[in-house]
Amino acid sequence: MIEKLMKTQLFAWVDRRTGAEAIIKSQLTEYPAPKNLNYMWNFGSLALLMLVLQIVTGIFLVMYYKPSAEATFGGFTVAFDSVERIMRDINFGWLIRYMHAVGASMFFFVVYLHMGRGMYYGSFKEPRELLWIIGVVILLIMQGAAFFGYLLPWGQMSFWGATVITNLFGAIPVLGDFVTQLLVGGFAIGDPTLNRFFSLHYLFPLLLVAIVGGHVHALHVVHSNNPDGIDLHKPEEMIPFHPYYTIKDAFGVAFFLTIYAYIVFFNPQFAGYFIEVDNYVPANNLSTPAHIAPVWYLTPWYTILRSFESKLIGVLAMGGSLAILFLLPFLCKSAVRSARFRPVYQIMVIMFFIDVIILGYCGHSAPTPTLKIVGQLSTAYYFLFFVALPFLPKFEKTKPVPEGI
Amino acid sequence: MTDQANQSRRNFLYVAAGGLGAVAAGGMVVPFIGSMLPAADTLAASKTEFDVSTVVPGQLVTIQWQGKPVFVLNRTAELLKQVDGHDDILKDADSKAIDEVQAEWMDTPEKRKYRSIKPEYLIVVASCTHLGCIPLFKPTPGRKDWGDSVPEDWAGGWHCPCHGSLYDLSARVANGSPAPHNLHVMKYSYKTDTTVVIG
Repeated sequence: MIEKLMKTQLFAWVDRRTGAEAIIKSQLTEYPAPKNLNYMWNFGSLALLMLVLQIVTGIFLVMYYKPSAEATFGGFTVAFDSVERIMRDINFGWLIRYMHAVGASMFFFVVYLHMGRGMYYGSFKEPRELLWIIGVVILLIMQGAAFFGYLLPWGQMSFWGATVITNLFGAIPVLGDFVTQLLVGGFAIGDPTLNRFFSLHYLFPLLLVAIVGGHVHALHVVHSNNPDGIDLHKPEEMIPFHPYYTIKDAFGVAFFLTIYAYIVFFNPQFAGYFIEVDNYVPANNLSTPAHIAPVWYLTPWYTILRSFESKLIGVLAMGGSLAILFLLPFLCKSAVRSARFRPVYQIMVIMFFIDVIILGYCGHSAPTPTLKIVGQLSTAYYFLFFVALPFLPKFEKTKPVPEGI
Repeated sequence: MTDQANQSRRNFLYVAAGGLGAVAAGGMVVPFIGSMLPAADTLAASKTEFDVSTVVPGQLVTIQWQGKPVFVLNRTAELLKQVDGHDDILKDADSKAIDEVQAEWMDTPEKRKYRSIKPEYLIVVASCTHLGCIPLFKPTPGRKDWGDSVPEDWAGGWHCPCHGSLYDLSARVANGSPAPHNLHVMKYSYKTDTTVVIG
């Protein structure tokens, strides 16, 4: 179809003024991709899909959402009521809001799998270090956007989650109070906070679009890694991205949207994991819910924070656990990329994935002494994984890497 | 020679123009960051009056000051007694660690212990000094009413539901809590015998 389109006079006219043909050829129809990519390589396009869906649903929600903590006659607030109005009175409002709320969780889900793929197959290693680093920046901006967005419904979890996280910044030496004030805009979370969070929640996705552009550009310079993690040179090892991987990605999208639609239509709160029950209670600044926890995609880092008794060390450890992701390409020194040929790394990285899930479970549950110890051990392994990486090549016997595919 | 002179002149002009541009761009940060700091009307709402005689003995009420929650606890003789005898398990029994946990009227060991102008009326900021949650009031000693959310030798006080910090009935933090400090004491004074002005 593309070929047919490219033969038209109209396209020739556009091409003379934009160079569109060369771009389409080099980036799509003649863009070489390894022929052995498995389904773990679908999550990049799924993440892009989720970004677009979040932006589109978000734009429509903003047509009705009102960022104000002012009290209404009903005894709630303008923001809380406007969300309830979207749910009850706006045509299809329930659908668009559930798509957005479930979409946030699904976005993180595919991005975490995308990152796990990169870690397992060594996609972060030379020459793709910067590609990985841009990806980590994307993750941080996503987490910021999610945090800002979570305040907007102005429920109990919104309010107290924001209280806890803004207080975290207060622990930063010297600058802490200033940064907290910039975020909060008053003595406590209130109307000024809601308005600026709304502004930033709209800004961050725009930043994401720009940085995702950089991520894709960086990918198209160094090209995709592959499950064997070897450099490919021969033409017969490559296939053009279009139509082969556009079709495979489209199949992945159809499969993914089936699950997404099931959750949106039949189980949007997802047992309190995607939308927390306490957030249906309007924000009350005089009463903290009995158990507060962030949404599941932030709980691993929340556990790391909770594992330390000193507030400052907890905050530093949490910041460090994210910052250390930037260093992954430089800590992992093995010449072999894929875990398929690295028996020790393979066990370590699978344990790391399980470890993050355990951290997430601990952070979601009410704190008990047993879970605290489990959380502390998991935190220890989280950091140990990264610290051990540089020493791994000294004793790990890698399996022979194939010549080609 | 002329070429060299021109070159160094150009370098100077580049640096001077670039430097001034950077200063101007930096100056533009001031109004934007400044606009994010608390607004004048937000800062103006800074005083609250409260009649403590509305709090019956043994009762705790949470009121609002500057949008922040404030505890007003009317301590009975019995509750006041529960403050004694566990200084060794407190992080900062005399409330001397930072300015926010003390006040100039704390001039006797008695007042440092009770942390209030009138011993019975404890008035403190209700935000846990760890991450700002409001601690739950668990005044009776022991585990009878509270289960294992509190230690066995619990003397009565507050328990923060978020990360488990423990405070005694003078809002002093116990060892082992993630909270670094006692609950903050804000500025307040008695306007009449029962009316306090907070702020």
